[in-house]
Amino acid sequence: MLKAASSLGVIFFPAFDWAISPTHPEREERLLYTQDQFREEGLFDVEGISEHRPLFATDQDIMRAHFCFPSVDAICTESHRISAGGAIQAARLVLEEETRRAFALVRPPGHHAMKVVHGNRGFCNINIEAVMVEWIRAHYGAKRIAIVDTDCHHGDGTQDVYWHDPDVLFISLHQDGRTLYPGSGFPYENGGPRALGKTINIPLPPRTSDEGYLYALENVVLPILADFKPDLIINSAGQDNHYSDPITNMQFSAQGYARLNELLKPDIAVLEGGYSIKGALPYVNLGICLAMAGCDYSGVREPDFNAAALREEPETMEYIKQSCGPLLDGYFHPARGDFEKQGEYFVRERKIYYDTDGILEKQREELKDCEHCRGLRLIKTSSSQILPCLGVELPMDCCPACEREGYEAFNRKGDEFLVAQMLDQKNKHFAYRPKK
Amino acid sequence: MRIGIDIGGTHTDGVLIDGTRLVAAAKAPTNHDNLLESISAVLQAILTDQDPARVQTLNLSTTLTTNAIVTGRIDPVGMLVVGGPGIAAKHYRIGEHFHLIYGSLDHLGTETSALDEQDLEEAIAACCDQGVKCFGVASKFSPRNPAHEDRIREELGDRADFVSLGHLISGQLNFGRRIHTVYYNSAVWRTFRAFAGALAASLQGFDLKAEVNILKADGGAVPLARAMDAPVQSIFSGPAASVMGILATCTADADLLMLDIGGTTSDIALFAGGEPLLEREGIAIEGRPTLVRAIRVESIGIGGDSLIHLDADQVKTGPQRLGPCMATGGAAPSLMDALNVLGLADFGQTERSRDGLEALAAQHHLEVRALAQAAVDAALNAIAAKIEALVRMVNAKPVYTIHEILEDREITPKKLIVIGSPAAVFKELLAVRLGMEVIVPPLHGVANAVGAALARATSHLALTANTSRGQLSVPMLGVFRAIPRGFSLQDAIDEARRLLKADLEQAGVNIAAEEIQITQADAFNMVDGSYTSGKNIRVVAQVRPAVVARLEPDAAAIPVRLAGQS
Repeated sequence: MLKAASSLGVIFFPAFDWAISPTHPEREERLLYTQDQFREEGLFDVEGISEHRPLFATDQDIMRAHFCFPSVDAICTESHRISAGGAIQAARLVLEEETRRAFALVRPPGHHAMKVVHGNRGFCNINIEAVMVEWIRAHYGAKRIAIVDTDCHHGDGTQDVYWHDPDVLFISLHQDGRTLYPGSGFPYENGGPRALGKTINIPLPPRTSDEGYLYALENVVLPILADFKPDLIINSAGQDNHYSDPITNMQFSAQGYARLNELLKPDIAVLEGGYSIKGALPYVNLGICLAMAGCDYSGVREPDFNAAALREEPETMEYIKQSCGPLLDGYFHPARGDFEKQGEYFVRERKIYYDTDGILEKQREELKDCEHCRGLRLIKTSSSQILPCLGVELPMDCCPACEREGYEAFNRKGDEFLVAQMLDQKNKHFAYRPKK
Repeated sequence: MRIGIDIGGTHTDGVLIDGTRLVAAAKAPTNHDNLLESISAVLQAILTDQDPARVQTLNLSTTLTTNAIVTGRIDPVGMLVVGGPGIAAKHYRIGEHFHLIYGSLDHLGTETSALDEQDLEEAIAACCDQGVKCFGVASKFSPRNPAHEDRIREELGDRADFVSLGHLISGQLNFGRRIHTVYYNSAVWRTFRAFAGALAASLQGFDLKAEVNILKADGGAVPLARAMDAPVQSIFSGPAASVMGILATCTADADLLMLDIGGTTSDIALFAGGEPLLEREGIAIEGRPTLVRAIRVESIGIGGDSLIHLDADQVKTGPQRLGPCMATGGAAPSLMDALNVLGLADFGQTERSRDGLEALAAQHHLEVRALAQAAVDAALNAIAAKIEALVRMVNAKPVYTIHEILEDREITPKKLIVIGSPAAVFKELLAVRLGMEVIVPPLHGVANAVGAALARATSHLALTANTSRGQLSVPMLGVFRAIPRGFSLQDAIDEARRLLKADLEQAGVNIAAEEIQITQADAFNMVDGSYTSGKNIRVVAQVRPAVVARLEPDAAAIPVRLAGQS
C-alpha cells in the first residue's frame, strides 16, 4: 500500500449541480471523470492523503479581498462562496498543521477576477486565491506569500489584486498573451510603483512542452522563490497547458504537471482552469496529488501520451532559453514603468472588459504616495451596467493621515457615488456605506 | 418462527422468536475449532418443547470467515491483476501468488491496451504448478468494462475450483479495494463451503426445515446458497448483529448512538435518523481496505476486563487486557474491579477486586477509591472522545453538490443505547459523563442474536449509463447492454429498481418496491466540442439494513438459558 511522504488534504468539490450554462466548459461534468479516476485509484485510501469538504466564504471573507459592486450578493452565488471556502479550507488545514499540504480541487475558478468586481470575467467571479490569502493574513498575521500561477491563461485577476503589495510575490507562467485570452501578462507588467518586481510574467510560446515549461520553472521561478523566501507557496493550478486542452495551444503533460509540483513544492494548490475533462484532468489531477504527497507518480500518464510527438521544436526551446535570463533579471533589477502622478497620487485609468457577462468597466485608481505607510487607495469605477461606485482601501500599516482621508471619502455625503465600500485592512473594518 | 444465532468471540447466543414475541434464549461458550458444536448447543436449548417445523427462518451471524483469516486458515489465491496507467498495481500486492497481466482500460471503459495473452497464460501456468485452485481476478476500471476480467475467467476454465471476478463483487470504483476483496473472497471460499455443508447436515438432525441465511457485515441476511458466491460478505457480522439488535429492541427514529460493551473492546455505532450508518466504501480486513459493505462501527480498547495501570503517575484503563477481571479469578485489576470497589457494580467476588486495587494503590501511594475513580474516569473519557471524534468525522464527510453543503443536516445524537453484559453498570456513569439520555434495552445480553434473527435482506447496485455510447452497465449483475439515445435519468432509476427487485426475487427474497431507496441519481450533460453528445447517468439503489419486526417490550421476562457448559 502507498504511503504519503508528506501528508496531503484534498478538498474535492466538483459542484455537480452548478454550471455557467449547459454546454459551457465550466459545467457539472467538469470534474466527473477526475472523481472516477480518484475513486478507481483509491487516492483517499493512500495513507496520508485525506479528503475534506469546503468551508463557506462569508461576506467578510470576500470583502477583505474585493470591492464588489453593487454588493457582494450581486456578484457571488453560493457556488462562488463554496469554491472560495474550499480554498480557505485548504489554507486552514495547512496553517493548523492538520496536513503538510493541501489541494483545493474546487470550481468555479477565480484567477481572472480583479480587485474590483462587476461580474464574471473569464469564467471567474471572485478570486478564490485572493480571498484565501486575505483569510490567512486575517487569521495568522502578516505572511510573505508567493502565488505561482500555472494556468495557461495569464492570471490577470490575481496580478491586479496584488499589484501594489510587496508582500505577495505573483509569478504567472502562461501561453503568450499575443496568442491567447486575456491578451496580457507581458514581462513589462512588473508591479505597481511601491511593489516593483513583485509581479513576474513569464509568457511561453504556443506548443511549449514539458522540457520548455520545466526549464522556465527551474531557471526563473525557483531562483526567484529562493530569494523571496516566502512563508507559503501557493500554486494557482490551472490544467489547461495540457496538450489535449480544447481552448489553448500548449503541449504539457500529466508527467510534466506532476514534476512541476514536485519541484515547486507548493504548500497549497488551488484548481483554476483546464477543460480537457476526459483526456487530461483525470491524469493531471492524479499526478498533482501524488507529487504533492511525495508519492511515486511515474505510472501516471495519459493513454495517448507520446513524448516524442509532443516535444517542442528546437526553435521554441531556444526562444525559451533566451528569454529566461532577462526574466530573472527583471526580478532583481525591475525596470520602472512610467507611472502617471497627479499631485501626491499615482493615477491609473483603465477600461476592463468582462467577456462572460459583456460588461465594460471604466476605472480610475488613485494611490497616495505616502511617506508613512503604503498609502491610501481610492478606486472610482463605473460600468455599462452601473453608476459610479467608490472603493476605499487602507493598508495594514495605514498612517493616521491616510486613515482620516480614507474615512472622509467613504463618509462624504451627497457625492456622486451610488455605492461606496471600505476595505480597511488596518482596523479590519469591511463595510458598505449605509444607504440613506 | 425465526431463530437467530450469533457466534461471538466468547459466547454463542441463540434466540427463538415468534412474530414479535421472544420465546426462548440461550447462551453457550464458543468452540472456535468446532462452531457446529456451539450452534447445536444453543439450538438444543431454544428448541426444547418447541416444534422445529414451525421455524421458517434461521439467521446466523458467524465469526467463521473472520477467524479463518485471522488464524491464517485460508486457501492460497492466484491473483490475476490487470493494472494500467496511474498508481501502479504492484502497490496492492497480496498473497503469495500475485501476477500482473499487461493491459488497460480508461475511465470510460475504453480498452487502451489489449490484454497480454502470453502474460496471462504464464501466470495461470505458474499458479497451477503450485497447486493453486482458487483465483481472484481484478482489472482497473472493470466496472466500466468487464472484458478483461471475463477473458481471464474464460481462460481459467476448469483449472479453477473457484474464481472471484472484481466487477461481480462490487460495481464501485476502487481498484485496490477490488484486488483485496477478490483475494479474501477466494481465500475463505473453501472454508465457508465446508461449513455450509456441515451446517445443513446438522440442521437436519434438529428436523429444521428453515431457510438458512447468513448475516452480512451490512446487517442484511443473505440466503446460504447465495453467500457461497461471496462468502467474504459474512466477515465482521458480529457488530452488525448488535446494531440490528438495537433496531429490533428500541425505538430508533432519531439520531442516536450505540455502545456495545464487551470484555476487551467496545463497539460504537451511529444511527442517523434511526438508520445505521454504513462505511463509505467498505470495511478493512487486516488493515487492507475492501469493497465489502458494512455498518460503520468504531472499536475502542475499553471493556470490562481492561487493565488498570499507571503510566507516569497517570491512571490508565486499557487498551490491554490480561485475562478476566479479578472478581472472576483474573490476576490483575481491571475496569470491572474498579466498579466493584466503588460500589457501582456487584459482580463476582467483590473482595478480590478490592484486594487487587488496594495492592496497586499501595504500590503507587494512592487511596484505593481515588484510584478506582480515576480508572473509571479514564475509561469514560476514552469512550467520550471516541464518540465525539466519530460524530465530528461523520459530519465532516465530503459532499459534492452545493445543495448538500447548504441543506445537509448535522447529525447530533442525544441518546445512547448501551448493550453488552456490563451495560446496566455503565448506564448512570455514561449519562453523567456524556450529558445524554442513556437507555439499556431489555435483553441486552442476547441483543445480537435478536438482531440476527430479525434482520432482513439488504442489497444494492450501481448503474451507469452513457447515452452517447448507448451503453448501460450494472456490473454486479453482469448486465452490460445497449440503450437508445433517448434513455433518461428516470428510465435509469426505473431500471435500477427493477433489476434490484428481480435479483432479490431470484434469491427468494420479496421486497416491497418502496423499500428500495435511490441514494444517487445524477445525469451529466456530456459535451464534445461545443454540442451535447449525450448524458452520463449514475444511479445507486439500495435496500437498507432493517428488521422485519420489533420485539414486544415484555421480552425481558424470558430467562436466558445457559447451554452446552461442559
